[in-house]
Amino acid sequence: MLDRESTFTDQNLLQSLRDHCIPVALDQAYERRQEDAKGEFYRRIAGQGPRKDFRGSTQGFYLATADGELLMYNNNRRPELVARLVRAALERFDAAAETRPAAQPIEDGEPDPQWSPEPPDGGLVLRTHTRVLGGYPERAESPEPRREWRRIMETALGRDNCWLTREEHRALASGEVPGSAIRRIVRFHFVDNTRGEPPMWRANEVESLEFERDGDQIRGNVRLRAKDDSREYVAAFLAELAIEDGSVTRFDLIADGSFRGEGRYTPGAPPDWFPLAVSLTLADGHDVADRIPPQGSRGWVRGYLDTRRD
Amino acid sequence: MRTHRTALLALLSATASAQDTPLDSDGASRVETTAPAVSRQRFDELRITLQPNPDAPWRSIAWRIDLLAAQREASEANKPLFIWAMDGHPLGCT
Repeated sequence: MLDRESTFTDQNLLQSLRDHCIPVALDQAYERRQEDAKGEFYRRIAGQGPRKDFRGSTQGFYLATADGELLMYNNNRRPELVARLVRAALERFDAAAETRPAAQPIEDGEPDPQWSPEPPDGGLVLRTHTRVLGGYPERAESPEPRREWRRIMETALGRDNCWLTREEHRALASGEVPGSAIRRIVRFHFVDNTRGEPPMWRANEVESLEFERDGDQIRGNVRLRAKDDSREYVAAFLAELAIEDGSVTRFDLIADGSFRGEGRYTPGAPPDWFPLAVSLTLADGHDVADRIPPQGSRGWVRGYLDTRRD
Repeated sequence: MRTHRTALLALLSATASAQDTPLDSDGASRVETTAPAVSRQRFDELRITLQPNPDAPWRSIAWRIDLLAAQREASEANKPLFIWAMDGHPLGCT
């Protein structure tokens, strides 16, 4: 979220992207591994930058021609720097416009099934948001831009998508509570993703889970604890549903509880227990982000959907 | 009303609520057992608190998420691709 709230606040950069580029956002963990035309094209571009070892992260900002010539790479999120580099790359792009052959469109071909997940047919997509409530304690001031980055992370809203299967959708629409859906929600979405990629909960870290349905409400309580005792979340949750013609037309869930700990990529959590809330709400499909796979499904959708597995 | 329980801990059978759980010796760190139920008022408050800002500047960009569809569009429009490639999806969980 640092880039969302820092890099893309520069009006010059936003204007350049809107008017002069085709902007693409992706989780490079997919494209750098994909054995298909998409992965090949991504690696052609990224391989011209400094991160050529596709066994590791290739994250950063790239500007490239449609035939894959890299014009800019940068992995520094400072907005004025990214704006300046993009502007310079666009000037190089324009300068060679007369002599550059027209790029040929690349067809999709057969997608790599492991890295091309689609939401379950007939299932539901739930937008997920997470927030640390109550703020963070005062800390010693650090120099900019780190102070600003800390402010962003400490007020951030974590985002993700949750997928429910067709069978779970049918069960919800017929008045039941599919335990698999609730287990998936708590294991993969009751996480603190407000400061980065969070560790998910393993099946044996769900220490207790209780839920009940009363009409169009589901109430529950959960206790999650990492086996190494590094993290814990104790929360109650309430969901409200509406059903029309055999389909779920509303699903709003709120989890409210106390969290402690952090993961390798989510450092800087408040000390001790802190309040953390999670919301899930039915996606309407109008936001391009509704098509993004859940973070917890990365590389192994079956493991995400079958919550009995670790 | 249906009730489901899995791996129910002895802790859950305890009657203590979050409000009357003990404090650590320093008086600052609360040991949680179960969380209090989400009231109707709390549900409504948190739904608002957890709303994303629709006017955030990064949302003013028409981000594409399919690299090859974007490549074809860039070919047609004779524009370069700007690729925001992160660990975790930039529009999702990062």
